Amino acid sequence: MAAILRDLLRYHAEFRIGAGLIAVVLLLSVLASFSPYPPQDVYVVPPDVPPSLTYWFGTTSRGQDVFWQLTFALRNTLLFGCTVALISRLLALVVGLLSGYKGGWIDRALMSVNDTFIVIPLLPILVLFYFVMRDRMSWLLLAMIMACLGWAYDARLIRSVAISLKAREFTQSGLFSGMSTREILVQEHLPYVMPIVFSTTMNNMVWSIGLEVTLAVLGFTDINTPTIGGMIYWANQHTAMVAGVWWWIAFPTIAIIMTFVGLFLLAVSMNDYIDPRSRLHDFGGAS
Amino acid sequence: MSDLLLDVCRVGKTFTRGGLLSAQRIAAVKDVSFQLDAARPEILAIIGESGSGKTTLSRMILNIETPTNGKLLFDGVDLATIRAGPRRLAFMHKVQPIFQNPFESFNPLKRLDRYLFMTQRSFAAADRRGTPEMAVDETLRKVGLSLGEVSRRYPHELSGGQLQRVAIARALLANPKLIVADEPVSMIDASLRVAIVNLFKTLRDDLGISIIYVTHDLATAYYISDRIMIMQNGRVVESGDAKTVLRTPQHPYSRQLREAALLPEIAADLSVRMDDFNSSTSSERQI
Amino acid sequence: MKTMQADRPDAAQPILAVRDLRAYFRTDRFGVRRDVRAVDGISFTVRRGEIYGLAGESSSGKTTLLKTIAGAVRPPLEVVGGEVDFAFLPGYGGLHRAPAAEVARIRWRHLSYIMQGSMNALNPVRRLRSAFVDFAYPHIGVSRKQFEREVIVHLARLRLDPSVLAAYPHELSGGMRQRATIALATICRPDVILADEPTTALDVVVQKEVLGMISGIRREIGASVLLVTHDLAVHAHLTDRLGIMYAGRLIEEAATAEIFRNPLHPYTRHLISSLPRIGDDVPREGLAGSPPNLADPPPGCRFHPRCPLAMDVCRREVPAMLEIAPAHRVACFAVNRSAEA
Repeated sequence: MAAILRDLLRYHAEFRIGAGLIAVVLLLSVLASFSPYPPQDVYVVPPDVPPSLTYWFGTTSRGQDVFWQLTFALRNTLLFGCTVALISRLLALVVGLLSGYKGGWIDRALMSVNDTFIVIPLLPILVLFYFVMRDRMSWLLLAMIMACLGWAYDARLIRSVAISLKAREFTQSGLFSGMSTREILVQEHLPYVMPIVFSTTMNNMVWSIGLEVTLAVLGFTDINTPTIGGMIYWANQHTAMVAGVWWWIAFPTIAIIMTFVGLFLLAVSMNDYIDPRSRLHDFGGAS
Repeated sequence: MSDLLLDVCRVGKTFTRGGLLSAQRIAAVKDVSFQLDAARPEILAIIGESGSGKTTLSRMILNIETPTNGKLLFDGVDLATIRAGPRRLAFMHKVQPIFQNPFESFNPLKRLDRYLFMTQRSFAAADRRGTPEMAVDETLRKVGLSLGEVSRRYPHELSGGQLQRVAIARALLANPKLIVADEPVSMIDASLRVAIVNLFKTLRDDLGISIIYVTHDLATAYYISDRIMIMQNGRVVESGDAKTVLRTPQHPYSRQLREAALLPEIAADLSVRMDDFNSSTSSERQI
Repeated sequence: MKTMQADRPDAAQPILAVRDLRAYFRTDRFGVRRDVRAVDGISFTVRRGEIYGLAGESSSGKTTLLKTIAGAVRPPLEVVGGEVDFAFLPGYGGLHRAPAAEVARIRWRHLSYIMQGSMNALNPVRRLRSAFVDFAYPHIGVSRKQFEREVIVHLARLRLDPSVLAAYPHELSGGMRQRATIALATICRPDVILADEPTTALDVVVQKEVLGMISGIRREIGASVLLVTHDLAVHAHLTDRLGIMYAGRLIEEAATAEIFRNPLHPYTRHLISSLPRIGDDVPREGLAGSPPNLADPPPGCRFHPRCPLAMDVCRREVPAMLEIAPAHRVACFAVNRSAEA
């Protein structure tokens, strides 16, 4: 793994840039642990101070330091994206692999559930959840809901690969070697769908973070937990742009764009490397 | 127990293609019956062109496909009653497959010896002494390889002939009574083919394993098999002693196959070369 | 019985001459550089009007050789040395070095192809008629109506109904599709047809029919054919001369009947003697070992690790192709030595 990362860093420009951007974002989110101020506290610094040596990214109209606020926001936003991606990938893998390999009534049952989730309209459902849950709507609950809504399309993708894998002779070899269904799925098929999982992880994070920002900006989330969307929400509440407090909006926006671009570039370059076809191409040589 | 190893009893297989309204039914195998004697191991060749149903028939014998009519009895047990769990494992203990494409028989991303140890683990008899390594090595030596040549290797590091030997060794580790080989040498290079074909003879003579050899190649079928069945459009059109049937085919289709098979011995005699199958008999050519 | 080739004056200018051709797959991924020497110093000529066969196993380089001759040289494949001279394309040393305009002039008119999967040559979403119009019409200086008539006459030679022109490739059976590809390859009466495993995907009955047609139409239009297939039986029935390839090199070449009657190279001898024949119950011997990895071939003669006649010199030096008997070239020290004695 270390060798792969080194090779990627050395030879893949997209990976270098992507990794650099994500490294900056990660560094910022780690800094949250060293913040001098608790994230919820307001009026701990003078309000509306433009970026300076004392306050690198300036301060908000609520008397918060934008830099430290941003570190909390990035940490929570990334954590949110990872949680959604992790849970939804697990769901997509289990449903996709099982459905593709087993076929028959299991496939039909799982796919009818799957298709139901594909056609559910997202935004209205999320807003509805917010209005039902109100104050009990924590970011963890929102992550769970989004994970449940975000796996279906990728499960279909994985299923289509699993169906073609099932028809390949090595699956039969595994079966006749006495492997259980779980062993075949995990050991034989999983490596082939990993490229899909990796690239969709990045895409899924971009999707879930984007949606969370949207909801937060509109105020449909738990606004007391600082997230990137939450920061923009508060900035809008205080009409920061009109008041000339541009740094309150600019820095969260730059941070989120960096995250998106970084994740996208990582997805592209990792996909290039992990794809079994290009790996086999390296092995194969002539013929 | 029964004195028939395999009793194929009027089996048929119909595939349905298309949707509910435009369903097309294709009969791949129609009313095929034959038996294999438990006491007398033999090589039975199933010969046919693409679409003759020979592969579907072999898949039904392997219990990968279920027949739509008729039944298959292995050792007196109806294959339809074997679906999962220990009964399926017991069936695979006695019947093992060998596939057409040696490069596809093993997962290209995984090490080869894994399949051997997996099979050893699943089917090893309790009384077998020594470590799994010894058992695997012993079996590999039966096919002219050794554990040293195979362990820690990936499929792409071995030639097609070697891989097919590993596939045979894997099948042998289950200690089967019947091996179903679907075109096992059609993708093997000419210089390696004879050795593999000879190996099948050894398995029959020394280990007492019956082999169902599915092929389109009349010459190798003549060379190794005791009995042959010629299939056309899902039906058996002629069967019997291999040497007799191939020397003097009776059914018009068998005769057509026999005549169409390009046999190198004809080449030594230029008078029957391809040129003369065409209208012109002159040896002069326009330039 | 004498071969047909023997009557032909040898001085006839070859339509295609390959001289010391070297084509390697060069990969340079993540800092690891590797050369796979798929074609390593091959020389032979194809005469006007003959069918020259190339036989060899997978990874013997036969398909790469054909690709290189056809000018389909794209990375990672690289021509490292040698020349390919067509009589109709002098001065460039190969299609891969010729300018695009020259290549366009030559394609289909002088040089055409019959490939393994006929689906590749035919566009799956266009009717066959458009394939004929696209490829052949620019080369035949006649009106559209006249062209259509000629195509129909030509299809009849391959026993194809004119209605196939209105069909899509997937609507035809494998045999018909391959016949249509042959019609396409021969309509412009090219000088050379390159055929790569033209019948391997077909069933035996159809295969025989298609081989007969290749032979017949070739005679009618007087083209030379370079036929690549691993199937020696196909060579036995179709080719005039046969070259045997092993691990990227040509190791034996002679008239096809001569190769089958009197194979000299130990590898060829094994290939011929190990073919099972119906009616012949003699047990066949297998050959030990495997073909070498072309990224790291053995030094000297590449067959020596498997050769029953291997001597010291075989491990050190590369045997040259020498004419042992009239029109019979072999690259083997053991055979050369016994011929000298």
